[in-house]
Amino acid sequence: MRTHKRYSLKTQEGKEALTGYLFLAPALLLLGIFLLYPMGTAFYYSLTDFYILRPNEKNFIGFENFQMIFGDAEFRQAFSNTLYFAFLVVPIQIGVALGLALLVNKKLRFKVFFRTAYFSPVVMSLVVVSILWTFMYNPNEGLINEMLSLLGIPEQPFLTSPDQAMNSIIVMSVWQGAGFQMMIFLAGLQNIPNHLYEAADIDGATTFQKFLHVTLPGLKNISLFIFITITIAAFKLLVQPMIMTQGGPLGSTKSLVYHIYEVGFNYRDVGYASAMAVVFTIMVLVITIIQRIAVKEERG
Amino acid sequence: MKKMSKWLVPLSMSAALLAACGGNESGGESLDENNANNAGNNQSNNGESNGEQSDVVETGEADQGVEATGDESVQLDMWIHQTGEEETDFYIKRIDEFNEAHEDIFVNVEIIIDDGGSSYSDSINAALVAGNLPDILALDGPYVASFAESDIIRSIDEYISVEDLEDFVDSIIQQGSYDGELYSLGAMEASIPLYYNKDIFEEEGIEAPTTIEDAWTWDEFLTVAQDLTTEDRYGLNLFMNYGVGEWLTFMGGPFVWSNNGELISEDGSTSDGYLNSPETVESLEFIKTLFEEGVVSLTPGEMQFEEGNAAMALGGPWIAVSAENADMNWGMMPYPYKEVPKSPSGSMAYGITTLSEHPEEAFQMMHWMTNEESTIGLSEVTGMPPVRESAFNAMDKYDELPWSVMRDQVLETAHARPQTPAYPVLTDAFAQAFHAAALGEDVEETLNQQVERVERELRRFQD
Repeated sequence: MRTHKRYSLKTQEGKEALTGYLFLAPALLLLGIFLLYPMGTAFYYSLTDFYILRPNEKNFIGFENFQMIFGDAEFRQAFSNTLYFAFLVVPIQIGVALGLALLVNKKLRFKVFFRTAYFSPVVMSLVVVSILWTFMYNPNEGLINEMLSLLGIPEQPFLTSPDQAMNSIIVMSVWQGAGFQMMIFLAGLQNIPNHLYEAADIDGATTFQKFLHVTLPGLKNISLFIFITITIAAFKLLVQPMIMTQGGPLGSTKSLVYHIYEVGFNYRDVGYASAMAVVFTIMVLVITIIQRIAVKEERG
Repeated sequence: MKKMSKWLVPLSMSAALLAACGGNESGGESLDENNANNAGNNQSNNGESNGEQSDVVETGEADQGVEATGDESVQLDMWIHQTGEEETDFYIKRIDEFNEAHEDIFVNVEIIIDDGGSSYSDSINAALVAGNLPDILALDGPYVASFAESDIIRSIDEYISVEDLEDFVDSIIQQGSYDGELYSLGAMEASIPLYYNKDIFEEEGIEAPTTIEDAWTWDEFLTVAQDLTTEDRYGLNLFMNYGVGEWLTFMGGPFVWSNNGELISEDGSTSDGYLNSPETVESLEFIKTLFEEGVVSLTPGEMQFEEGNAAMALGGPWIAVSAENADMNWGMMPYPYKEVPKSPSGSMAYGITTLSEHPEEAFQMMHWMTNEESTIGLSEVTGMPPVRESAFNAMDKYDELPWSVMRDQVLETAHARPQTPAYPVLTDAFAQAFHAAALGEDVEETLNQQVERVERELRRFQD
């Protein structure tokens, strides 16, 4: 291939490159309009005192907004809430997704039914799921507390106790999201060649040993992909607290994105909200890069 | 030819994308292949012919007369919020009637969904930044101050007559004023009476006060609420299921005001010494007591009062509707007080934007939408109290119990929420503190934290 290219006409090569760029054009255009341009304006706004009600009086104030972040107790709380959410959701959701995938990969009856059942929360709107779970978590008439009371466990203030609210949201989020990663794991499981298991059988490996030494290594690349996507999604937590708790009680479920939304739209402080958005973007970017490096090392 | 097609695919894809982004503003007709070849010519033609057509479309039910007067008639754009269908239908009816009654003015109305969250204000914010605000728009009462402060809406002092001013109930004028000038008028009030379950009251032999003079003090209120609380019934419902938001300020504000407290200084310059004053602390301590005594639920069911699971409720006018529908035996009492009787007030109102080139005509429209006929009609459709004394006199419903209680509150004890451009932060600060008190947190400490937030926001407006 390489030699062929070297001898091809320069104009021909140029034309091909141009064709390539033209194919890229629609995607680049979309990215430009809906991603790069807003990111650029957000960065510009973060250096101003843009207040929604006074759109014509944007004053350049340097890094004042960024300095304000350090003294913002709400930002700190939202930041630690988001970290807490991510640190719990990521491992739990990966574990549940893998467990479900292993289950529905077995030769069971009603396999299709179970796969559909586990996947169905994913197709539901997150807003709908959040409202449903708000009903289920209700202390007086909620489904979960009714079931607990049958077991003799007292009513739990799932969403109204500052200690439990975030955990309740985590459980609901895992339930909603795990089906998607289950499907990806399932595809990965079916890609592991059967002869590896047969060889392990001949060597007299137990089921657990097969899982540890055949299944897990076979899923390595897929796991890393899932790890990165879940982490990014977890940092973007917004809908669940917005619908279920309005960030409360006592700010215990206020996420970073929710805080940014409130400051920008409810309190109209676009400048400060943009500064927090810039910090948030850089943070997610750094985490993603670290994960990418980890992926490369694993592969190398 | 093969190469040609290779080029064409991405080209036409980008073109399609651009077309989609540009939107169908000019005509709404998709270009077919023939048109694409001489698009230039066709587009200019389309532009002209469609221009005439779209006028007709926009003006909707305009009759021939309006078109004939054409250029001479003043076109006004107006935005209203949509919450309930019947309410919106009523607005549209009144706007149509206005257009029929005024040959020289034509109002184009745009209806924007108001989900109770922020969708309506998001639309206003977007238009504001883009400079596309209409001549006249509906806005929530407490936001008048920030819109006035930022010169988005204009004073209507020069247009309104003295008789008119006197006919409006005080709280509506209070809500619509900022810095000594009147900016906004509303067509409906809102109030919160203390609802009670008549059957339970009869059973327990409790007599409900019916006039402001006889209203319960906090102590009496607490005692009754405790007496009415049983193992399977709460004494009181505060609708904490509405979430931590505007409701808590709307419903909870009178606890502070009736204790001679304020959320912010009168000139609006500081909340320190007001939001965290001993009076405000005492008010929220009382709220805390209600929850600690188990009189109120932090998580009431949607229909807790209507189903008889709470004996009393501090709820909006809409609770009367749902209680009536639930076939329960209900009554209204005045809002309980500490030192001075106070009750909640405020609702959607109208403002004229500074961008409007026809403020005089816009005021005619605002006046029409808030005149006696409009406020009575709206009150009949929504169940919300009217905004004019003449309307109260004209409506028999408010002469007798239970609605006389709500009339007395609107006329005598209604207190508008604070007029400050920092309102969005202030209301959240108070709601957070109220909720924290309900959760049993230290009242003074939370209020001091919230004061810091409000002070930071207030600095923006110190010129």
